[in-house]
Amino acid sequence: MATVTNWIDLISASEAVGEVYPGASGMVGNMSNETLLVVIGVVLWIGWHLITSISESEKLSKIARKRPGPNDHKSNVTNW
Amino acid sequence: MTDQLTALQSIFSEFYYWVTVVMMFFIHIGFCMYEVGVSRHKHQQATLMKNTLVIPLVTITWFFFGWWIYWAFPTGPGIAPSIITGETGLRIDDGLFNANAYLANSPFMAINMTDRISGVFWAAFLLFSWTAASIVSGALIERITTFAFGILAIAIGSVFWSIDAAWGWHFDGWMLKVLGYHDAYASGVIHAIAGGFALGVLIVLGARIGKFSSSGEPRTIGPKNPWLVTIGIFLIYTGFWGFYAACNVPIWNVGTEYLGAETTVTYWTATNIYYTPTTLSGVTYNFLMSLSGGLLAGYIISKGDAFWTYSLGLAGVICASAGNDLYHPIQALIVGMIGGVIPYKLHYWVENTFKIDDAVGAVAVHGYAGFIGVVAAGFILNGFPSSGYSVGALFDTSGTYASINPLGNFLGAIIMFVVLGLIPGYVLAKILNAFGKLRIPREVEIAGIDYQIMEDDKEAEKTFTSSIATR
Repeated sequence: MATVTNWIDLISASEAVGEVYPGASGMVGNMSNETLLVVIGVVLWIGWHLITSISESEKLSKIARKRPGPNDHKSNVTNW
Repeated sequence: MTDQLTALQSIFSEFYYWVTVVMMFFIHIGFCMYEVGVSRHKHQQATLMKNTLVIPLVTITWFFFGWWIYWAFPTGPGIAPSIITGETGLRIDDGLFNANAYLANSPFMAINMTDRISGVFWAAFLLFSWTAASIVSGALIERITTFAFGILAIAIGSVFWSIDAAWGWHFDGWMLKVLGYHDAYASGVIHAIAGGFALGVLIVLGARIGKFSSSGEPRTIGPKNPWLVTIGIFLIYTGFWGFYAACNVPIWNVGTEYLGAETTVTYWTATNIYYTPTTLSGVTYNFLMSLSGGLLAGYIISKGDAFWTYSLGLAGVICASAGNDLYHPIQALIVGMIGGVIPYKLHYWVENTFKIDDAVGAVAVHGYAGFIGVVAAGFILNGFPSSGYSVGALFDTSGTYASINPLGNFLGAIIMFVVLGLIPGYVLAKILNAFGKLRIPREVEIAGIDYQIMEDDKEAEKTFTSSIATR
């Protein structure tokens, strides 16, 4: 992780300069932690759109099938 | 950072941008309140949710690619050489300010002890991105699907505004060099493009059911909650202080910047986004005078209509923003007044002529006012330098900067409103519409997008009431 290596490189203690903590190394093969995390982020992002598209279509279809009138929502106004 | 002054300058800049981000958050709160205040009761929760989702969707895409686009595209590519590399290609070289430093997996896109500016500068630009998407959001309320709006928000917030910022809002941007484009506080690069984009989408999306009578006469579907509208737009005004501050570089040695590292000349100052010296103090005059101009003119032209008077105050600021780093306060006032009149007239002309239903007047307040503001700056500031580098020119070994001029800013306004705004908005809306994903079903629009939520709530209330009665 850049954060850890930066921090280690910047402090002046000679025994720490250049050291990398075990957890700061790459997670998978030669792929850096950052790259892997970005791949995961992109998957989550695309997945969100797919899920939203499907669930929103279902929700809208359900209301459309009921065919409520333009003022029907007024009977659903709650007081609590 | 091993000496105190360097640390102070660095951490001051870091904190300065951080504060602007917090202040600009008020813009988003304001947009949410404003849109909910305008929408009808049966659509309000959907309206709020749509605008809320701007935050995560634009943020993650700005992280993945939006910020990279800004740094990659200042040369066009292929239009004008970079003043750093002398090349016209994408800025993905190894030189200063290259885009690869801002790839999503770059060490600079994370906590990094050698970099105290990228994150807050990224966030300041991100808040501009939210604003661009929120401008579009208001125009489309009560009939667009959340999915479609998400795609459109990403397009305007993380792609098209990012390209226009690279071209016309970057010290190395080709529009400065070729056109002399000047737009210090984003009349064009945020407002005109977002307004144009919204108009492009509206052409395809169509009007709300009932907006126009069978004979084509427009009906007023006015603000439903004047308090929310009022507080919302006042929060937008508040956030604009942060917006203006974020458009400046707070402290910079332009002596070294213009004359080279060897110079003995030092001159610390705030600059605008183009590294042209300015002062936050002077800009404060102009911000308030242009807001006042818009409010005064808006009050007259709308015959005291509260919704439009507040909105046209904002239009006044937006109209003057392109030149508010250089205007005299009275010029800012007059340009603000122009911004309070013409967009209002254009809004109703477009509504009547083309049957465009812009629910909150976003195309007028942001699009038309922004366009007019960029054009006005070209005339008023004719001959002024478009960039600090055209005066001193540390880097200017290959690219030269045109001065500000009327034609350049007019063409710039066309690029913002039409080329990067209206056309992409229209095309994307056409594609979404072709897949049946753009507009909610007619039955849902009539009943209200919140119908099911409200019905569920009613059922819950019935259960509650009956449980009380049986005790």
